Amino acid sequence: MSTGETPGHPLLSAEAGRVELLLGNEAIVRGAIEAGVGFACGYPGTPSSEITDAFARLSPALGIPFEYSVNEKIALESAYGACLAGARAIVAMKHLGLLYAGDPLSTMPYMGTTAGLVIVSGGDPSCLTSPNEQDQRHLGDFLHLPVLDPPTPQAALYATRFAFELSEASHLPVILRPTTRLCHTSAPVTFGGLDSEGTPRPTGFQRDPARLLPLPQNARRLRVEIEQRLATARALIETSTLFSRQGPAQGPRAILAAGVPAATSADVLAARGLTDTTPLLTLAAVHPLPESWLLTQLKGLRELLVIEELSPFIEDNLRAICHLHGIDLHITGKRTGHLPIYHEYEPPLLEAAILNFLKLPSPSTTLQAPTSPLTASTPPAPNTPPPLGGAGGGDNPTLPCTDLKPHDLPVRPPILCAACPHRSTFFTVRSVFGPETLYFNDIGCYTLGVGEPLGTGDALLCMGAGLTLAAGVARTTGQKTVGFIGDSTFFHSGMPALLNTVRQGADTLTVILDNEVTAMTGFQESPSTPVAALVQAGRARSAADIEAIVRALGVDHIETVDPEDLPTALAAFRRARETTGPCVVIARRPCPVSEGRVISAGGVAPAPNAPDAKQASAPLAPQPVTFAISEDLCRTCGRESAGHRCHQETLVPFEGAMAHARSLEVIQSPACAPSQAESCDSCTPGTLPTHRGERPATAPCASLCPLHLCIQGYAAHIASGDHAQALELILDGLPLPDSVCRVCHKPCEDSCVRGDLDEPVAINALKRFVMDWAARQESFPLPAQSTRCEADHGRRVAVLGAGPAGLAAAHGLRRRGYSVDLYDARDQAGGLLRHGIPAYRLPPEVLDRDVERILEMGVRFHGGQRLGADLDLDTLLAESDGVLLALGAGEGRRLEFPSLWAEAPAGTTGPLIVDALTWLESSNDGQAPLAPGHVLVVGGGNSAIDSARTALRRGAASATLVCLEERDEMPAIAEEVTEAQAEGVVILHRRRVRGLLQGSVEIIGVAPEVVGDLRPANFTDTAGSDETLPAEQLILAVGQVPDGDLLGSADVRVNDMYLAIDAHTGATSRDRLFAAGDLTGGDGTVTGSIAAGLRAAWGLDQALRGEAAAAALPPPPIPPQPTAPPPGRPGVERGDRHGPPGKRRHGAELGGRERLSSFKEVVSTLTEEEARAEAARCMICGLCGNCRPCLDLFGCPAFFMSGPAIEIDPNLCVSCGVCAEFCPNEAIYPVFASEEGTDTAGHREGVTP
Amino acid sequence: MSPSTLRILIVGVGGQGVLSAARHIGQAALDHGLEARIGQIHGLSQRGGSVESTVVLGPGSTGFVSMGQADVLLALEPLEALRALARVHGETLALVNRATVIPFSQTLAGASYPSVDGLLGGLAGVAGRVYGLDATALASETGSPRSLNAAMLGTLCGLDCLPLAAAALRQSLAGAGRPAFHPMNLAAFDAGLATADQLEPTAPPTRQA
Repeated sequence: MSTGETPGHPLLSAEAGRVELLLGNEAIVRGAIEAGVGFACGYPGTPSSEITDAFARLSPALGIPFEYSVNEKIALESAYGACLAGARAIVAMKHLGLLYAGDPLSTMPYMGTTAGLVIVSGGDPSCLTSPNEQDQRHLGDFLHLPVLDPPTPQAALYATRFAFELSEASHLPVILRPTTRLCHTSAPVTFGGLDSEGTPRPTGFQRDPARLLPLPQNARRLRVEIEQRLATARALIETSTLFSRQGPAQGPRAILAAGVPAATSADVLAARGLTDTTPLLTLAAVHPLPESWLLTQLKGLRELLVIEELSPFIEDNLRAICHLHGIDLHITGKRTGHLPIYHEYEPPLLEAAILNFLKLPSPSTTLQAPTSPLTASTPPAPNTPPPLGGAGGGDNPTLPCTDLKPHDLPVRPPILCAACPHRSTFFTVRSVFGPETLYFNDIGCYTLGVGEPLGTGDALLCMGAGLTLAAGVARTTGQKTVGFIGDSTFFHSGMPALLNTVRQGADTLTVILDNEVTAMTGFQESPSTPVAALVQAGRARSAADIEAIVRALGVDHIETVDPEDLPTALAAFRRARETTGPCVVIARRPCPVSEGRVISAGGVAPAPNAPDAKQASAPLAPQPVTFAISEDLCRTCGRESAGHRCHQETLVPFEGAMAHARSLEVIQSPACAPSQAESCDSCTPGTLPTHRGERPATAPCASLCPLHLCIQGYAAHIASGDHAQALELILDGLPLPDSVCRVCHKPCEDSCVRGDLDEPVAINALKRFVMDWAARQESFPLPAQSTRCEADHGRRVAVLGAGPAGLAAAHGLRRRGYSVDLYDARDQAGGLLRHGIPAYRLPPEVLDRDVERILEMGVRFHGGQRLGADLDLDTLLAESDGVLLALGAGEGRRLEFPSLWAEAPAGTTGPLIVDALTWLESSNDGQAPLAPGHVLVVGGGNSAIDSARTALRRGAASATLVCLEERDEMPAIAEEVTEAQAEGVVILHRRRVRGLLQGSVEIIGVAPEVVGDLRPANFTDTAGSDETLPAEQLILAVGQVPDGDLLGSADVRVNDMYLAIDAHTGATSRDRLFAAGDLTGGDGTVTGSIAAGLRAAWGLDQALRGEAAAAALPPPPIPPQPTAPPPGRPGVERGDRHGPPGKRRHGAELGGRERLSSFKEVVSTLTEEEARAEAARCMICGLCGNCRPCLDLFGCPAFFMSGPAIEIDPNLCVSCGVCAEFCPNEAIYPVFASEEGTDTAGHREGVTP
Repeated sequence: MSPSTLRILIVGVGGQGVLSAARHIGQAALDHGLEARIGQIHGLSQRGGSVESTVVLGPGSTGFVSMGQADVLLALEPLEALRALARVHGETLALVNRATVIPFSQTLAGASYPSVDGLLGGLAGVAGRVYGLDATALASETGSPRSLNAAMLGTLCGLDCLPLAAAALRQSLAGAGRPAFHPMNLAAFDAGLATADQLEPTAPPTRQA
């Protein structure tokens, strides 16, 4: 049948004998029209949808009422009302819907029909488009209804016409049960005439209380009357043409088939040339069975094969009939194991069964019938139709000339359309509620959200069940759940479900996906379809107000969002997350596919005033024709531009990109929100904002990290629970992670953007979590990449000094394929880490992990080798290809004090004086004597703090720290200062030691001449501020300098007291001699020294092997000096728009008593839960070279991979622009069609429309 | 099933026009006195999933094209052609659009699309004659890639495997769908028709011992 405009539509033709190619569904419609149908309705559902769609289109011309009812129960009741009012009525739905309508259906046979009522219930053997298959024929037996089951479109037309007569004669509603195969098969159909003159016109409702009020006394009587009605139906069926016999009139064996298998059986017999020799009885009426006809036909038969899909409905009835009438007939079918009891029958299966029954040889290609389908626990293969993704066949041979196996072909499941607003909703909800939340989906297009990547379906039951499942689970587990439901499904059965949720107070979020249409079944109208769209179809009504309904149901927290306005939607879902109890978010955006076409069924035109925020705000603004991806920005990061290669093989995990989505509001300047684009100079009014937050290539934390670590990367991995990947990222850039994660001065945290919102992410604690996690693993999971060394190339280098810089340099050189000898004056490697940092901050066994890891790479360590005594620099330079000095600064600076006690009585002394390094080393060797009484420490750095805290652990009566700096000027790590104070260290700021007294120290207040200059010379004494403090021990922690004698003998250029080097390469003034660390006057931090060691390794490599070879392992760039605010920091808004501020997590700490009585590590590591929550606070401020949330989280089918590049197919992209909103790298930009017809790209720099 | 029956299997991706290609053949057949039945199973398949339709020309009651029964395979997408492998037989004529539609599952998995030549070769090892052409490009040249199905119908018609004259199919194309698209579809059909005699069958693969 060709489709055309309604006037002159072929289905309306009065021409009897006309032949049209009709779908089974269309043939049913034609049959109803021929029967003079006066009322049509239904609820769309595959495979029956085309029936209601046709009536939607034709009802104006037919002059009959039509409705897409709100649900199937209501449809059936509406149709029954029309029937009682004397109009022939037809109602269509799928099999699931008829059970939903089971309540009214079950009483209708009692009350009976006035005019004919035909209930079309599309069946779906093999679950082709349904969650189950069911045999509706049993409803005939169960509820006392005639059931017709036509095999072909032509038979469907006849059956429909006859069904009206049958219903009127028997006063019973008639079920017409076509299956998917019939509904969706087109065949030539010959029309009958329009004999509407012979059908009753609506007579109006006739009062008949004895029949129409099935009160108990009436119902009992009516039940008896039903038997008479069924008898009438049977008698009428006996006289009908709904059964036939082909083939010979006699024979020992015959086949009886019903429904579509009857047609298939006829074709199988024809193909085998058996038509003329095998009797085939065809039944299109299955309840009540035409018993008289059957008895006639069965006479003389010895064997009968019964072919019917699904249950043995006819087969069992025939056995009963034969038993009752004493007929000795062997019946073959499902009960005998010759045919399966489930799924559709395709020709090969029937061919095998028929040939087997006729005792004819089976063709080689056909499959054996299953032996016992009734009891088989696994479905036999023969009857399984080849799935869409499979080519069928038992084995899976490799195809000639290809590696492909048919079963292994990439599957192509259905997927939400490009620009489907549901995708944005799922993406947004998942981003807010995370992967741990349980999601319950429902029936509609949005069911496609259940799979990856959207992952929003933990269970799916039936229409309307998403909400109730979510509520039931929430009430049982106490966890907030999310239920999704589409607009049409909400009206269908979601309203009572939501009322129930409200009544029970379940803590569940209901997301109503309102695309204003019933999209999945073919874009039928839904109650929320805007009125304007229906005017043209002649069915102008009011559009249902979902908000008002939800409010009336008792929901207090209701929000409506445009799912494509991600920041607004994210904020709404965050608020919903923080709400306890039932809440509803309505995600409203019209289905773009239905908008772009005439809504199929009802001739519903695109709504001229469909609410579309983008168009409504500026209808004349240019719209992008597609979006494209900037190669420069996509999958690149600032670390890569600094030469780092991302070795990550897994993708940026879900949580990472979700963290970005969460931070959209923060990052994106409010001036560029779509609603405010007009006020932004860089954005075109009414279009998507193109001027964004200017995301920096490298996040501020990584920029300021001396090692340039990809912090956002490992935070993302931790958040997603992939700690091994996080470890890989950490080890790749950091040779001494176990130590650094405990002692780093953390410039990253000072620059953390999150700190502007609430508190910085506890970056170092996250790193420590990973390292401690790794140490707990049975076999330490050393990622291959980060410890892989280049092949040995025979060059040999010596590294002198095994502190942080030396260890890092040795590590760097070893990775570059050098043979490395590492020397240190002390017996153990570690340098300052071992001797200068107390064990309560860095336990020696933790440092050992770092050292061992480096030695395991092949670095040879030689302890007890002192330069000048055991080693000679000239000799080393002569014997190796290069030497790297990392000797540190071991000489404590001294202060000159007036020795006031010199005049004291003989035998008395002033305080003992010691430098901090000596003090700390003697404390760490485990044999430290008790501290003598009161201890006073001079200095404001980490050594000073460490010395004071160590003194308390060594039993000092008190520990007082004197420093020039105010608290926030102190170089010491702030947290360490806090810890020290908590332990009882007294800190006196803006003071210096003026002199030493007998058992005490005289100090005096100072003031800086220039604010910000912390050099001692800048401070002058404040008169009259002197005081005396008791002190038996004075510790000088005012810095260290290198061994001057050593430098003097090394024949190198010296700068001040330090070895002069090139800051980038570590090159000294001598050929092949490089240096790093405190020896060169570095930044005095452990992490900075490590970075310097790595740089010097690179510099030495460059000198020995050339730039190209050295570039394979780029060094960390020298970080910029931190400024306020740090460079590249996006604008951040404070306020509660982002939900309550999240506090950073701290590791548990030892109690005061326990910590002071030992050198046990004070701070413990984060728990798994704490670490993941803390990592999720990272806002992923930098670009990522490894991200593809467009594919992995959003899953828009317009995206594809072209080699390593992600691209957008302009033929599929419909310019919704959502991807450009969330792309972490801001690599997606709109493309406009210019007036000349060429595309103009609107880059992030601004748009040129 | 009888010698006078021709079974056509049309496969492709939802949205490519598989169902309407089937309707065009069926309508043309009906208009010219042939019995025709069309089978289609769809539901969610319009959402970019695999989709197929069958056309059975000749006497009979059903529209099945079962395993080994496709006399003609019209594949609007090469991967879908190979998916239909079990349905072809040694005499099948297959016409395959070489333009690929990458399944999103492949993109997601980071997997690559199989070689089109490999797909066609695999098919040629089983089917009688296999022709490949980039019908998407052809349709784009004559108007729009949306006329892909019309272009392929033209080529199929030119390969003389249908009991239908080109005029019959043109008439069917001109009688269905939005009138605005008719000129575009007819141009694509004609371009496809003109391409048919330039096509060479794909060589079956050399079997390895």
